[in-house]
Amino acid sequence: MRATFILRKLAGAVSTLAFVVVFNFFLFRVVNKNPVDSMFRGRNLTASQKAELTRKFHLDGSKWDQFVGYVRQLLRGDLGLSFKGNRPVVDVIAEALWPTILLVGFSTLLAMLGIGLGYRAGWRRGSRFDTTSTSLSMLTYSMPEFWIGMVLLGIFAAKLGWFPVGGLEDPGSTATGFSKLLDQFHHMLLPAIVLAIAYVGEYMIVARSAMIETLREDYLQLARAKGMRDDDVRRKHAVPNARLPVVSLSAINFGFVVSGAIAVESIFSWPGIGQATYIAIRGPDLPVLQGLFLLISAAVIVANLIADLLYGRLDPRVVGR
Amino acid sequence: MGAAVTLAAAGSAVVWVAPVSGSSGGGTVTLTVGVTQDVDSPNVTVGYTVAAYELWNLQYATLTDKAADDFATIPGLASTWDASDDGLTYTYHLREGLKWSDGQPLTAEDVAWTVNTSRDQEWYNHSSVTANLDAVALDDVTVQITSAVPDPKLPTMDVYILPKHIWEGPAADDVTAFDALDGVGSGPFTLKEWKPGQEWTMVANPNYWQGQPKIDQVVFRVYTEGGAMVTALEKGELDAANDIPAELFADLGTQPNIVTVAGAQGGFTELAMNGMAGGIGDGHPALLDLNVRHAVAMAIDRQQLFDRVALGIGLPLTVLGVSPDQEWLPEIPDAEKLGYDPEAAKALLEDNGYKDTDGDGIREMPGGGEPLVFRYAERSEGTQGAAIRELITGWLKEVGIGTEVSVYDDTQLGDIIYAGTYDLFVWGWTPFVDPDPMLSYFTCDQVTYDADEAGYNDANWCSPEYDALYVQQNQELDHAKRVELVHEMIRMFNTQSTYVVLYHDADTQAYRTDRFTGWLQQPKGTGPVIFSNSSPTYFNLTPIESSGSDDGGLGTGALIAIIAGAVVLVGLIVFFAMRSRSSREDRE
Repeated sequence: MRATFILRKLAGAVSTLAFVVVFNFFLFRVVNKNPVDSMFRGRNLTASQKAELTRKFHLDGSKWDQFVGYVRQLLRGDLGLSFKGNRPVVDVIAEALWPTILLVGFSTLLAMLGIGLGYRAGWRRGSRFDTTSTSLSMLTYSMPEFWIGMVLLGIFAAKLGWFPVGGLEDPGSTATGFSKLLDQFHHMLLPAIVLAIAYVGEYMIVARSAMIETLREDYLQLARAKGMRDDDVRRKHAVPNARLPVVSLSAINFGFVVSGAIAVESIFSWPGIGQATYIAIRGPDLPVLQGLFLLISAAVIVANLIADLLYGRLDPRVVGR
Repeated sequence: MGAAVTLAAAGSAVVWVAPVSGSSGGGTVTLTVGVTQDVDSPNVTVGYTVAAYELWNLQYATLTDKAADDFATIPGLASTWDASDDGLTYTYHLREGLKWSDGQPLTAEDVAWTVNTSRDQEWYNHSSVTANLDAVALDDVTVQITSAVPDPKLPTMDVYILPKHIWEGPAADDVTAFDALDGVGSGPFTLKEWKPGQEWTMVANPNYWQGQPKIDQVVFRVYTEGGAMVTALEKGELDAANDIPAELFADLGTQPNIVTVAGAQGGFTELAMNGMAGGIGDGHPALLDLNVRHAVAMAIDRQQLFDRVALGIGLPLTVLGVSPDQEWLPEIPDAEKLGYDPEAAKALLEDNGYKDTDGDGIREMPGGGEPLVFRYAERSEGTQGAAIRELITGWLKEVGIGTEVSVYDDTQLGDIIYAGTYDLFVWGWTPFVDPDPMLSYFTCDQVTYDADEAGYNDANWCSPEYDALYVQQNQELDHAKRVELVHEMIRMFNTQSTYVVLYHDADTQAYRTDRFTGWLQQPKGTGPVIFSNSSPTYFNLTPIESSGSDDGGLGTGALIAIIAGAVVLVGLIVFFAMRSRSSREDRE
């Protein structure tokens, strides 16, 4: 039973990924036939130079041939060359990955403090703590990330000067090791706080409603009847049962960690996946876009898979279904 | 617990103090320039972004240089040159003792190798100059360059000369696969490090032929958001910035210690009409009538477009831009200007039989039939497309011409232009210094006759007379005569009006006046200070002594941030400590 459950989930993940590969390839090529002409507009190229570029970027031949070539390349673990600067797509993405994991990963962890708030608020539903934290969460949840970013940037970087205006490191920094990390942390803090503010409400609200769901359950009455302290009832009986929706939300959000945060990365000139996506779209840099979409889809699929498997552990009823 | 808090506080103190010492340490004089576009490749046979050109302008010297004031051809790596009587052969004499930044001698052989290899391998940033040239190194300091055809661009040799000892290997293999991070050059600054998506750093070249620059390094910092870049400039994190958002430009100019520059480089925005020169596509038949094209031109208030859409940044010129050097632009007589005159436009349409027979406010073709409704292709990229469209379609409506608007990104727009399936579109060009390339785009050779083999002629008009003039100017070695020929071509093109030039754009730039002096506009008075044609500013800059090394202004701010950071960290630690304590209690 357990093995088939895992196998079923694995097969689902793999076929989703295969679909993504096919879909991505044709999606971008429906929109753009041959970007060479627009990329090199005004560059005074001869027809033979343009033809050579078309060949180099694998934009010649039929769509089907291009697709077969792409899949072959992919199976070798090669994502191709970026239209911009001829650099391997793998390099372009790898460079952007660490900054994004640093920023979005850290802010996601910060935002998960909202889970604790949510449980507490749900437990004391209607209390002043609940109404205050719920309305605050609603407020931050509904504020667009880029707006929070602009406001905090204006106050803390421009006016007060506590933080640099953007970027990953100081201009021309040659720092290495620990001082490099500190420098990056200094640059990261403001955008991370922006993202945390934007995400915290979501966790809080989900955790709160999950907690409210469990409040009516009989086993809580039983626990109280046994004479357990209120805090213990919450921690030992209510929270574990309220955990499922929170786990799936967290897993999905961790999947999205690698997709970066386009708006915030752009405002803070943070050289992560979000910024890379933005730049690739402007190109359009098809191989980089394909690579990015593949990475993001794969991350979300894997995160979902983990969530499914965790579900099975947290709630044995799921496996049985 | 107590130890943990102290450690955290100390850690955060280091966090905020580090940048202050980092930026001023070691007495390095750094110029920091904000940009919105990253280098695509430092390899000169691969890159094509404006940012990459700025890198090469600094890294590679050229045989002849361009004067900052007026683009005049002045000595560069070559101190003198002589022409043969037929004007086809030039002998360049290199300066004595030239060296690459890595100390290797720079000789005539490097020049000959670059010219010949770029021609043979059709490097696309070189070949427009070197396609017809052949170079021979006569000795270490003499190189003879012969053109297969009369070439009025000579003796100007503004191609980047590459170090043969570095590039020979890659060129023998696949030159475009070379990462070109070697940082070996002959210009004032050479590439030290490129952090894609973040910045690139160029350091002073002690072997530069004009001497060592007065600043030690230039850091180009990439911002994705122009507003943030402007903030960094105001704060003093940057010394200069390129590509300032137009809406922030006017206000920035009023800030203390900041000078804004609207640097015109001959780039322009035009409304193009489908002249169906290639015979493919389905342009509106009315646009084949010169009278209709003139009526469209006269219906448009170009001064208002310049004021309201371009926000007055740039030049209110309505003549085809073929060079940043205005010498090449003819004076267009008032009668040929086709200035804003909706009444005249209406009369012209009326007199030629384009009347509104069914009373819907839109004119029809002569004798009734197809209404004058033009497909207007709006460009989604750039910030001005929608505003231009709104004004132009309104003005056309006033003279009885309808429009159907569709919005396209650049690739899609390119596709419909090559396929000829449009009536009107608005886009722009930026010319080179020599007018030849821009003029060549409107020859019959560049018309798209087959959508799969697109040419550059998106005016979709061409004529044998224009082509004859084009060939003439391309071989006219007398400069004054060539200027006259070019003027004649531009006037002819203007009169045909498949292009209505709306205004000339400008690069929006700004620099701080409190750290460096010596900013140069190229050309003088109208051009940009950075990202200009040969980027003379950087070598000309001198640091202002009194400015000291403090460029951060982080003093009190840093102190407050240290405390705030410590409080946050302590709070987090206390929070987690309490949680883990209570869970321990649970287990007990």
